[in-house]
Amino acid sequence: MNIRTLKSVAAGSVLALGLVSGAANAATADGTARATILQQVTVTNTSDLQFGTVAIGTGGGAVTIATGGGRTCATTLVCSGATTAAGFSVAGATGMNVGVTVPGSVTLTETGGATMSATLNSSAASLTLAGTAADAFSVGGTLNVGGSQAAGAYAGTFTVTVNYQ
Amino acid sequence: MRLPKFMSGLGLVALVLAAPAQAAGDLLVAPTRVVLDGARGTEVILNNIDSVPATYRVSLEVRRMNADGTLDEVEPEKATAAEAQALSMITYAPRRVELAPNQPQAIRIGVRSPADLPDGEYRVHMLFRAIPTARSVTETQTTESGLSIALTPIYGVTIPVIIRKGALKATAAIGDARIDRSTGQPELTMSLSREGSRSTYGRIRVLKPGKSAPVFEVRGVAVYPEVNKRAVSFPIDTQTAAQLAGPATVQYLEEADAGGRVIAETQTVIR
Repeated sequence: MNIRTLKSVAAGSVLALGLVSGAANAATADGTARATILQQVTVTNTSDLQFGTVAIGTGGGAVTIATGGGRTCATTLVCSGATTAAGFSVAGATGMNVGVTVPGSVTLTETGGATMSATLNSSAASLTLAGTAADAFSVGGTLNVGGSQAAGAYAGTFTVTVNYQ
Repeated sequence: MRLPKFMSGLGLVALVLAAPAQAAGDLLVAPTRVVLDGARGTEVILNNIDSVPATYRVSLEVRRMNADGTLDEVEPEKATAAEAQALSMITYAPRRVELAPNQPQAIRIGVRSPADLPDGEYRVHMLFRAIPTARSVTETQTTESGLSIALTPIYGVTIPVIIRKGALKATAAIGDARIDRSTGQPELTMSLSREGSRSTYGRIRVLKPGKSAPVFEVRGVAVYPEVNKRAVSFPIDTQTAAQLAGPATVQYLEEADAGGRVIAETQTVIR
């Protein structure tokens, strides 16, 4: 039994305590301890998808952040600053095979209504969990900056799901 | 915003791609699969394992398996009659919970099946994910000439919720077990074919002559009724690839808590 399994028992116990405490107050009651060990999964976001700082030079172009975090910048753009791919960590029962889904593209919308598109890709479509340590996957993307991209604050969300079969 | 001289000389528009606000919503879900055989319901535990409070949403979605084993979401209006039936008869609550760090919450799952429900396997996928915290205006405010980008991940877990009614049977077969070295990283690949009125689920393991412990084992592999044949592929290291090569027994077994029965077995030579 590893630490994560113990945590699961603890989580179960917290829920059970409310039901058990009434009986525990009776001095003569026999105690019955029951714990169901459930297989569990934890998903943690370890880093955000950061494109760094980009400025339009001679025109629009693409900025790509690889799943490893490295950047490729179109020659028409000037890129600087730190970049990271979105990182996720998954921990669960040893040997479990899980899928990862990430949308192919997302649209970012500026407060005035202008849009910019980005394509996304994941470092893995499926993981086999090692159990002892958390398994990681990352999401990189390509931001398509138009030559006359309107100034403003662009915001978007993308969904990442870890799918058990 | 003051631009360096070389940049302003080019007439640049600075796109300041600001760091998104720290996304909250790390989560724990247990168990990772729910199978209900009768009218009795169950509970799934959701826990906030983040260091800050987060609001989580629980929802049901239809997902279909592809021939490569991935599960694609299907919009509710495109659901088949059986998928729509599954969506309508599974009840669950609460659907939105605000949790303090390390505060677990039980999500109750019930079944309200109609009396004339045809025998079969009904399945939906329960999605647990955090609702991202709203960004304040000042966080995304930028200079007049600039642009900022905030791309926030909304991440979560889906687990299957399966209801079975009646005596359902399924058989499966393993084919084409081999090592694929075409992409640099070796992968153990094989096909799983399935026949019958229900899905199959379990572990795949490879046994080698003279070795009592499996050389390779992976768990949590399903073949759902919407696919009659799917491919499975698992990245392996070169050492495992070398161990697997040659005569081997490949097995597809039910999990121990489901009986541990061998669903399919094949003697093959892995290349």
